[in-house]
Amino acid sequence: MKYLKLSTIVFSLALILASCSNSSDNPESADDNFDRGAMLANWADNIIIPAYTSFNAKAADLKTKTSEFSTNPTVEKLQELRNTWESAYVSFQHVSMFEIGKAEELRFRNRVNIYPTDTAQIEGFISTGEYNLDLPSTIDAQGFPALDYMINGLATNDYEIISFYTSHTNAEGYKNYVNTLASTISSLSAEVLTSWTAGYRDVFVSNTASSASGAVDKFTNAYIFYYEKSLRAGKIGIPAGVYSNGVLPEKVEAFYKEDISKKLLLESITATHNFFNGKKFDGNTNGPSFKTYLDYLNTIKNGENLSALIDGQFTVAHNKANELNPNFVEQIATDNTKMLQTFDELQRNVVLMKVDMVQALNISINYVDADGD
Amino acid sequence: MKNFFFSASIISALVFTSCSSDDSVNPDDNTVVPPATYTFKRGGESTVSFGGQTTRIKMAGELKSALMDFDNATENSLLAMYAHEAGNNDFSDSELNASDKSLRSKTAASKDYFSANASESTIIKATLEGFISSQVNEVFPNKMVVASPGVAGQVADGDKTRYVNQYGLEYNQAFAKSLLGALMTDQMLNHYLSYAILDEGSNRINNDNNITEEGKAYTTMEHKWDEAYGYLYGNSQDPTNPNLTIGEDDAFLNEYVGQVSKDPDFSSIATDIFDAFKLGRTAIAAKNYEVRDSQIAIIQKNVSKVIAVRGIFYLQNGKNKIENGNVQGAFHALSEAYGFVYSLRFTRNPETNTPLFTRSEVDALLAQLINPADNGFWGITPETLESISEAVAAKFDFTVAQAASI
Repeated sequence: MKYLKLSTIVFSLALILASCSNSSDNPESADDNFDRGAMLANWADNIIIPAYTSFNAKAADLKTKTSEFSTNPTVEKLQELRNTWESAYVSFQHVSMFEIGKAEELRFRNRVNIYPTDTAQIEGFISTGEYNLDLPSTIDAQGFPALDYMINGLATNDYEIISFYTSHTNAEGYKNYVNTLASTISSLSAEVLTSWTAGYRDVFVSNTASSASGAVDKFTNAYIFYYEKSLRAGKIGIPAGVYSNGVLPEKVEAFYKEDISKKLLLESITATHNFFNGKKFDGNTNGPSFKTYLDYLNTIKNGENLSALIDGQFTVAHNKANELNPNFVEQIATDNTKMLQTFDELQRNVVLMKVDMVQALNISINYVDADGD
Repeated sequence: MKNFFFSASIISALVFTSCSSDDSVNPDDNTVVPPATYTFKRGGESTVSFGGQTTRIKMAGELKSALMDFDNATENSLLAMYAHEAGNNDFSDSELNASDKSLRSKTAASKDYFSANASESTIIKATLEGFISSQVNEVFPNKMVVASPGVAGQVADGDKTRYVNQYGLEYNQAFAKSLLGALMTDQMLNHYLSYAILDEGSNRINNDNNITEEGKAYTTMEHKWDEAYGYLYGNSQDPTNPNLTIGEDDAFLNEYVGQVSKDPDFSSIATDIFDAFKLGRTAIAAKNYEVRDSQIAIIQKNVSKVIAVRGIFYLQNGKNKIENGNVQGAFHALSEAYGFVYSLRFTRNPETNTPLFTRSEVDALLAQLINPADNGFWGITPETLESISEAVAAKFDFTVAQAASI
């Protein structure tokens, strides 16, 4: 965890520097009349709820396909299940950043996408048949990464994988577990979506206060936390060895599927980029957003619009990521430098958002790096 | 035996005085010029030794880990690690197993605070053993239970899982941070840096005359000083220049001296402590006890401050999480805070040579921290945490805000 401490110091220094250089660029923040409610409404109605609605349908489909597969474990059904799993996993990249309200309460992201998955724990659960996926200690035995192991990682070829669900002495145990995994994702997703549509939307949109408990402040913290920890560090930094003495290819996302780690990364960059611009989930038009908020405040950094800098940096990072091998395990083995270059481009937006943007919006970052123990 | 050695040494000292004095000292006066690193020699041989402290830090590290070993640890195995006896296979490290050192025997065992206070020493040992036993008897059985108010089990802390008792307390944290005070700090500040130990018996005369311990290169006073040093730097990668890795060498005093020195408000504290150890040790070799004593005061003041700063840091960290609606996420910080507050009893005010907090003051703070009527951490309020923080800071020359920042 030492790197986090260093980043804290760098961040603090950056804050000090930023506070010296930007103060005169941002005279409006004292009387900020930006319509936060309209921005929150655009976020909730045009992005968050549609994204959850879309994901929830895919999660329900995943549950159905898993059930069909376990009833009739054939190679064909396995392929179908894989396609559905991949589609839902891609869709999840659009909702993973919204860890607020019910999602925060349920620890939604930690229950759906903690990797690497703990295969020993999974095998233990299957063999005893005793498990409670509500337990915090089981987050690395559930979600998409656990399903990845169950449908891609049990053996090296499809016939052997099928055998765990057919001829294995504990085939029932494998069937039960794979169904529990899929139905847990589906029920968690439904719970979060229902919360948004049955009242939380109004609570969120009306909480326009400019304070630590205001919706904009809380959501901005959740968004930047996601971008920094889950996207930048989780998908690229940790497997590329940024925080360790060597590379850790076993920590890539979708390790057992092998060839979609890049796809998931690109999707998450697109999702966070679109959110920054306020782009509607189901359309091409943009609404009130971080971008328009910064433009309203006329935030300038080094002579350029901060919103344009961040927008452009998302594109740069996406393009850099697009040069990577679809399989990050291979990319790390053949040329880890490209992983590190992608990390660097993603990191530039951590600084622009976590330092410059929050300062312009007068929001304080309320999460601190953990102790390490 | 010692008397015989003493007279023999006097003779040899008389004969060899001119060539046996410490390398770093001018024999003609007692000016004190510290070396660049904690390196002291007599006749070309190092006089620095603190193997027993290194052993205890390692024992404490193994025990801290073993408290979370749900699959293998038992109440008996953990208590045996705490009260180790030479030859018993309590640890994974065979050198520790062979050692005759024990954590328990040095818990609340300083000359100044506990030599005439066996009753409190016994209570403190029982408290630490209670943490161990309760971990096995209360938390281990609920390993696979979701904790709730009044029920031990798991809580989520980000992507980490914490195992807590019915009040939200992590016993392993309470144990480790209390041991940091009851063993490392107490032994350092109130035993080895005590005049009663440094100047015990003939220590001054022997030190003045370079009369070393039998078969050793160091005088008794030098060795006592080094034993104090070892409780902070005994597990350092380079014990002669330990600030290169301060904070990374153990999970006890070293870690938290390092952590506190990362706070810009206390950025010189690691340097101040090390420099005082180095200068004080040089002063002993130079027979300058005035300089030695002023360094003792610096060390006592600053190590005490580390405990208070870190305690407040965790109290405030927990308070912020509760204010952000993340009550269970606060338990880890509050468990650390519990141990640091417990450790305040072992701090020392060099002006009065007494602890900054009495037993009853510490007990009163702990009772606020874990109030059974509120189910402990489950129901604690930000206001209570603020008031405990203020009560701790009031005895020091820094503010709650300074301690709370990183």
